[in-house]
Amino acid sequence: MKPEEIQKALADITAEADPTLKHLKLASLVSAVFRERSIELVVVGGSAIEFYTEGAYVSGDLDMCLISPARLDIRTRQELMGQLGAKGGPRTWQVAGQYVDILGEIETLARTPFNELQAPCGPVRLVGPEDLLVERVLVSVYPQRDEPAELCARKLIAVALSGQVEMNWQEARRLAERPEYRILPVLEELVNTVAHELGKSSPYHS
Amino acid sequence: MNSGNPVPIIPKGRPISWEDWLKGRRARRETGNRVAPEIIRRPSSSSDRRLRKLFGGERGLPFKKTEEL
Repeated sequence: MKPEEIQKALADITAEADPTLKHLKLASLVSAVFRERSIELVVVGGSAIEFYTEGAYVSGDLDMCLISPARLDIRTRQELMGQLGAKGGPRTWQVAGQYVDILGEIETLARTPFNELQAPCGPVRLVGPEDLLVERVLVSVYPQRDEPAELCARKLIAVALSGQVEMNWQEARRLAERPEYRILPVLEELVNTVAHELGKSSPYHS
Repeated sequence: MNSGNPVPIIPKGRPISWEDWLKGRRARRETGNRVAPEIIRRPSSSSDRRLRKLFGGERGLPFKKTEEL
Protein backbone atom coordinates (compact mmCIF):
# COMPACT_ATOMS: atom_id res chain seq x y z
CA MET A 1 0.00 0.00 0.00
CA LYS A 2 1.19 3.48 -0.74
CA PRO A 3 1.69 5.78 2.27
CA GLU A 4 -1.25 7.94 1.20
CA GLU A 5 -3.50 4.87 1.01
CA ILE A 6 -2.42 3.89 4.51
CA GLN A 7 -3.13 7.38 5.79
CA LYS A 8 -6.57 7.37 4.19
CA ALA A 9 -7.37 4.00 5.75
CA LEU A 10 -6.10 5.14 9.16
CA ALA A 11 -8.27 8.25 9.00
CA ASP A 12 -11.30 6.09 8.21
CA ILE A 13 -10.53 3.69 11.06
CA THR A 14 -9.90 6.51 13.52
CA ALA A 15 -13.26 8.07 12.65
CA GLU A 16 -15.14 4.76 12.84
CA ALA A 17 -17.42 4.72 15.90
CA ASP A 18 -18.70 1.16 15.53
CA PRO A 19 -16.25 -0.96 17.53
CA THR A 20 -16.73 -4.09 15.45
CA LEU A 21 -16.19 -2.30 12.15
CA LYS A 22 -13.26 -0.45 13.63
CA HIS A 23 -11.62 -3.74 14.61
CA LEU A 24 -12.33 -5.36 11.30
CA LYS A 25 -11.04 -2.45 9.22
CA LEU A 26 -7.93 -2.31 11.38
CA ALA A 27 -7.39 -6.07 10.99
CA SER A 28 -7.66 -5.59 7.24
CA LEU A 29 -5.13 -2.78 7.18
CA VAL A 30 -2.64 -4.56 9.43
CA SER A 31 -3.02 -7.76 7.38
CA ALA A 32 -2.42 -5.83 4.15
CA VAL A 33 0.75 -4.14 5.40
CA PHE A 34 2.17 -7.42 6.71
CA ARG A 35 1.13 -9.32 3.57
CA GLU A 36 3.30 -7.02 1.46
CA ARG A 37 6.24 -8.58 3.31
CA SER A 38 4.84 -12.11 2.78
CA ILE A 39 3.68 -12.34 6.39
CA GLU A 40 0.24 -13.84 6.96
CA LEU A 41 -1.78 -13.03 10.07
CA VAL A 42 -5.00 -14.43 11.47
CA VAL A 43 -7.49 -12.86 13.89
CA VAL A 44 -8.00 -14.92 17.03
CA GLY A 45 -9.85 -14.76 20.34
CA GLY A 46 -12.63 -12.35 21.22
CA SER A 47 -12.25 -10.29 18.05
CA ALA A 48 -12.79 -13.34 15.86
CA ILE A 49 -15.86 -14.29 17.89
CA GLU A 50 -17.14 -10.76 17.46
CA PHE A 51 -16.79 -10.97 13.67
CA TYR A 52 -18.67 -14.29 13.62
CA THR A 53 -21.43 -13.41 16.06
CA GLU A 54 -21.84 -9.63 16.31
CA GLY A 55 -21.90 -10.61 19.92
CA ALA A 56 -21.08 -7.24 21.43
CA TYR A 57 -18.06 -8.91 22.90
CA VAL A 58 -15.34 -6.52 21.83
CA SER A 59 -12.62 -6.96 24.37
CA GLY A 60 -11.14 -3.57 23.54
CA ASP A 61 -8.17 -4.91 21.67
CA LEU A 62 -7.56 -6.80 18.47
CA ASP A 63 -5.60 -10.04 18.77
CA MET A 64 -3.77 -11.43 15.77
CA CYS A 65 -1.39 -14.37 15.42
CA LEU A 66 1.19 -15.37 12.85
CA ILE A 67 0.33 -18.01 10.30
CA SER A 68 3.58 -17.74 8.36
CA PRO A 69 6.33 -17.33 9.08
CA ALA A 70 5.94 -18.84 12.54
CA ARG A 71 8.25 -16.25 14.05
CA LEU A 72 8.88 -12.63 13.27
CA ASP A 73 11.80 -10.66 14.57
CA ILE A 74 11.17 -7.65 16.72
CA ARG A 75 12.74 -5.19 14.27
CA THR A 76 10.39 -6.26 11.46
CA ARG A 77 7.37 -6.03 13.76
CA GLN A 78 8.32 -2.53 14.81
CA GLU A 79 9.03 -1.42 11.24
CA LEU A 80 5.74 -2.73 9.90
CA MET A 81 3.68 -1.29 12.71
CA GLY A 82 5.63 1.94 12.28
CA GLN A 83 4.16 2.22 8.78
CA LEU A 84 0.80 2.52 10.51
CA GLY A 85 1.98 5.23 12.87
CA ALA A 86 1.66 2.78 15.75
CA LYS A 87 2.88 3.54 19.25
CA GLY A 88 4.39 0.98 21.59
CA GLY A 89 5.40 -2.59 20.91
CA PRO A 90 6.93 -5.08 20.61
CA ARG A 91 3.75 -7.19 20.97
CA THR A 92 1.09 -4.56 21.67
CA TRP A 93 0.60 -1.33 19.79
CA GLN A 94 -1.85 1.52 19.81
CA VAL A 95 -3.11 2.34 16.32
CA ALA A 96 -6.00 4.54 15.22
CA GLY A 97 -7.55 4.60 18.69
CA GLN A 98 -7.33 0.84 19.24
CA TYR A 99 -4.91 -1.65 20.68
CA VAL A 100 -3.51 -4.36 18.42
CA ASP A 101 -1.70 -7.38 19.82
CA ILE A 102 0.44 -9.42 17.46
CA LEU A 103 1.06 -12.65 19.26
CA GLY A 104 3.15 -15.65 18.27
CA GLU A 105 2.36 -18.50 15.95
CA ILE A 106 -1.30 -19.48 15.76
CA GLU A 107 -2.17 -22.44 17.97
CA THR A 108 -4.61 -24.57 16.07
CA LEU A 109 -5.34 -28.26 16.02
CA ALA A 110 -8.15 -27.92 13.51
CA ARG A 111 -8.00 -29.47 10.07
CA THR A 112 -10.44 -26.96 8.67
CA PRO A 113 -9.04 -23.92 6.82
CA PHE A 114 -9.06 -20.41 8.15
CA ASN A 115 -12.03 -18.37 7.07
CA GLU A 116 -11.56 -15.26 5.00
CA LEU A 117 -13.43 -11.99 4.95
CA GLN A 118 -12.92 -9.52 2.12
CA ALA A 119 -12.54 -6.26 4.03
CA PRO A 120 -11.83 -2.74 2.74
CA CYS A 121 -8.01 -2.94 2.72
CA GLY A 122 -7.87 -6.60 1.74
CA PRO A 123 -8.61 -10.08 3.08
CA VAL A 124 -8.79 -10.78 6.81
CA ARG A 125 -8.17 -14.34 7.94
CA LEU A 126 -10.22 -15.60 10.88
CA VAL A 127 -9.43 -18.60 13.00
CA GLY A 128 -12.05 -21.29 12.35
CA PRO A 129 -15.24 -21.35 14.43
CA GLU A 130 -14.47 -24.92 15.54
CA ASP A 131 -11.24 -23.86 17.22
CA LEU A 132 -12.95 -20.87 18.82
CA LEU A 133 -15.89 -22.90 20.04
CA VAL A 134 -13.88 -25.66 21.67
CA GLU A 135 -11.49 -23.15 23.20
CA ARG A 136 -14.35 -21.13 24.71
CA VAL A 137 -16.04 -24.24 26.03
CA LEU A 138 -12.82 -25.28 27.76
CA VAL A 139 -12.30 -21.80 29.24
CA SER A 140 -15.93 -21.76 30.39
CA VAL A 141 -15.22 -24.54 32.88
CA TYR A 142 -11.44 -24.59 33.46
CA PRO A 143 -9.67 -23.50 35.56
CA GLN A 144 -12.98 -22.31 37.00
CA ARG A 145 -16.40 -21.40 35.66
CA ASP A 146 -16.21 -18.43 33.32
CA GLU A 147 -19.60 -17.08 32.34
CA PRO A 148 -18.49 -14.71 29.54
CA ALA A 149 -16.72 -17.62 27.83
CA GLU A 150 -19.84 -19.76 28.06
CA LEU A 151 -22.01 -16.95 26.70
CA CYS A 152 -19.66 -16.49 23.75
CA ALA A 153 -19.79 -20.22 23.05
CA ARG A 154 -23.59 -20.11 23.18
CA LYS A 155 -23.70 -17.30 20.60
CA LEU A 156 -21.27 -19.09 18.32
CA ILE A 157 -23.33 -22.27 18.54
CA ALA A 158 -26.52 -20.32 17.84
CA VAL A 159 -25.28 -18.62 14.66
CA ALA A 160 -23.91 -21.93 13.43
CA LEU A 161 -27.12 -23.85 14.14
CA SER A 162 -29.04 -21.06 12.39
CA GLY A 163 -27.02 -21.39 9.20
CA GLN A 164 -25.31 -18.02 9.53
CA VAL A 165 -21.81 -19.39 10.11
CA GLU A 166 -20.68 -22.65 8.58
CA MET A 167 -19.48 -24.96 11.35
CA ASN A 168 -17.97 -28.41 10.88
CA TRP A 169 -19.56 -30.10 13.88
CA GLN A 170 -17.59 -33.30 13.39
CA GLU A 171 -14.39 -31.32 13.49
CA ALA A 172 -15.50 -29.52 16.64
CA ARG A 173 -16.22 -32.90 18.20
CA ARG A 174 -12.83 -34.26 17.13
CA LEU A 175 -11.08 -31.26 18.66
CA ALA A 176 -13.05 -31.52 21.89
CA GLU A 177 -12.03 -35.16 22.22
CA ARG A 178 -8.34 -34.47 21.79
CA PRO A 179 -6.10 -34.74 24.84
CA GLU A 180 -5.33 -31.03 24.56
CA TYR A 181 -9.00 -30.24 25.31
CA ARG A 182 -10.83 -33.30 26.76
CA ILE A 183 -14.04 -31.32 26.86
CA LEU A 184 -16.42 -33.28 24.65
CA PRO A 185 -19.21 -33.92 27.21
CA VAL A 186 -19.41 -30.20 28.02
CA LEU A 187 -19.45 -29.28 24.33
CA GLU A 188 -22.19 -31.78 23.53
CA GLU A 189 -24.33 -30.68 26.42
CA LEU A 190 -24.01 -27.01 25.53
CA VAL A 191 -24.78 -27.61 21.85
CA ASN A 192 -27.79 -29.73 22.76
CA THR A 193 -29.04 -27.09 25.20
CA VAL A 194 -28.71 -24.21 22.73
CA ALA A 195 -30.31 -26.28 19.98
CA HIS A 196 -33.25 -26.99 22.28
CA GLU A 197 -33.60 -23.29 23.17
CA LEU A 198 -33.65 -22.38 19.48
CA GLY A 199 -36.03 -25.19 18.58
CA LYS A 200 -33.47 -26.75 16.26
CA SER A 201 -32.10 -30.25 16.06
CA SER A 202 -28.68 -30.76 17.57
CA PRO A 203 -25.87 -32.20 15.46
CA TYR A 204 -24.88 -34.17 18.57
CA HIS A 205 -28.20 -35.85 19.23
CA SER A 206 -27.89 -39.51 18.36
CA MET B 1 -27.34 -17.48 -0.21
CA ASN B 2 -30.62 -19.14 -1.13
CA SER B 3 -34.28 -18.30 -0.95
CA GLY B 4 -34.76 -20.25 2.30
CA ASN B 5 -31.98 -18.43 4.11
CA PRO B 6 -31.67 -14.81 3.01
CA VAL B 7 -28.85 -14.11 5.47
CA PRO B 8 -25.47 -14.67 3.82
CA ILE B 9 -23.58 -17.44 5.58
CA ILE B 10 -19.95 -17.01 6.64
CA PRO B 11 -18.70 -19.95 4.62
CA LYS B 12 -15.81 -22.34 4.75
CA GLY B 13 -13.36 -22.70 1.91
CA ARG B 14 -14.27 -19.48 0.15
CA PRO B 15 -14.18 -15.84 1.20
CA ILE B 16 -17.21 -13.86 2.25
CA SER B 17 -17.52 -10.43 0.65
CA TRP B 18 -17.62 -7.28 2.72
CA GLU B 19 -21.16 -6.57 1.54
CA ASP B 20 -22.41 -10.03 2.50
CA TRP B 21 -20.75 -9.85 5.89
CA LEU B 22 -22.39 -6.46 6.52
CA LYS B 23 -25.78 -7.81 5.39
CA GLY B 24 -25.66 -10.59 7.96
CA ARG B 25 -24.69 -8.47 10.96
CA ARG B 26 -28.14 -7.80 12.35
CA ALA B 27 -29.35 -11.37 11.92
CA ARG B 28 -26.27 -12.77 13.63
CA ARG B 29 -26.70 -10.36 16.53
CA GLU B 30 -30.39 -11.23 16.87
CA THR B 31 -29.68 -14.95 16.78
CA GLY B 32 -27.06 -14.66 19.48
CA ASN B 33 -29.36 -12.55 21.61
CA ARG B 34 -31.82 -15.47 21.74
CA VAL B 35 -29.38 -17.54 23.77
CA ALA B 36 -27.24 -15.03 25.66
CA PRO B 37 -27.36 -11.40 26.81
CA GLU B 38 -26.66 -8.84 24.13
CA ILE B 39 -23.52 -7.46 25.73
CA ILE B 40 -21.05 -9.81 27.35
CA ARG B 41 -18.09 -7.55 27.73
CA ARG B 42 -15.81 -8.77 30.49
CA PRO B 43 -15.94 -6.59 33.61
CA SER B 44 -12.15 -6.70 33.83
CA SER B 45 -9.07 -8.39 32.43
CA SER B 46 -5.31 -8.06 32.38
CA SER B 47 -5.77 -5.29 29.78
CA ASP B 48 -8.11 -3.33 32.03
CA ARG B 49 -5.84 -0.43 32.87
CA ARG B 50 -4.73 0.36 29.35
CA LEU B 51 -8.24 -0.05 27.90
CA ARG B 52 -9.92 2.19 30.45
CA LYS B 53 -7.26 4.81 29.88
CA LEU B 54 -7.85 4.71 26.12
CA PHE B 55 -11.64 4.61 26.23
CA GLY B 56 -12.36 7.23 28.89
CA GLY B 57 -13.02 4.85 31.76
CA GLU B 58 -14.75 2.16 29.69
CA ARG B 59 -13.20 -1.01 28.31
CA GLY B 60 -14.04 -0.17 24.70
CA LEU B 61 -16.21 1.93 22.44
CA PRO B 62 -19.98 1.72 22.97
CA PHE B 63 -21.59 -1.08 20.98
CA LYS B 64 -23.87 -0.30 18.08
CA LYS B 65 -27.50 -1.04 18.82
CA THR B 66 -28.98 -4.07 17.11
CA GLU B 67 -31.60 -2.00 15.32
CA GLU B 68 -28.85 0.16 13.82
CA LEU B 69 -26.96 -2.76 12.31
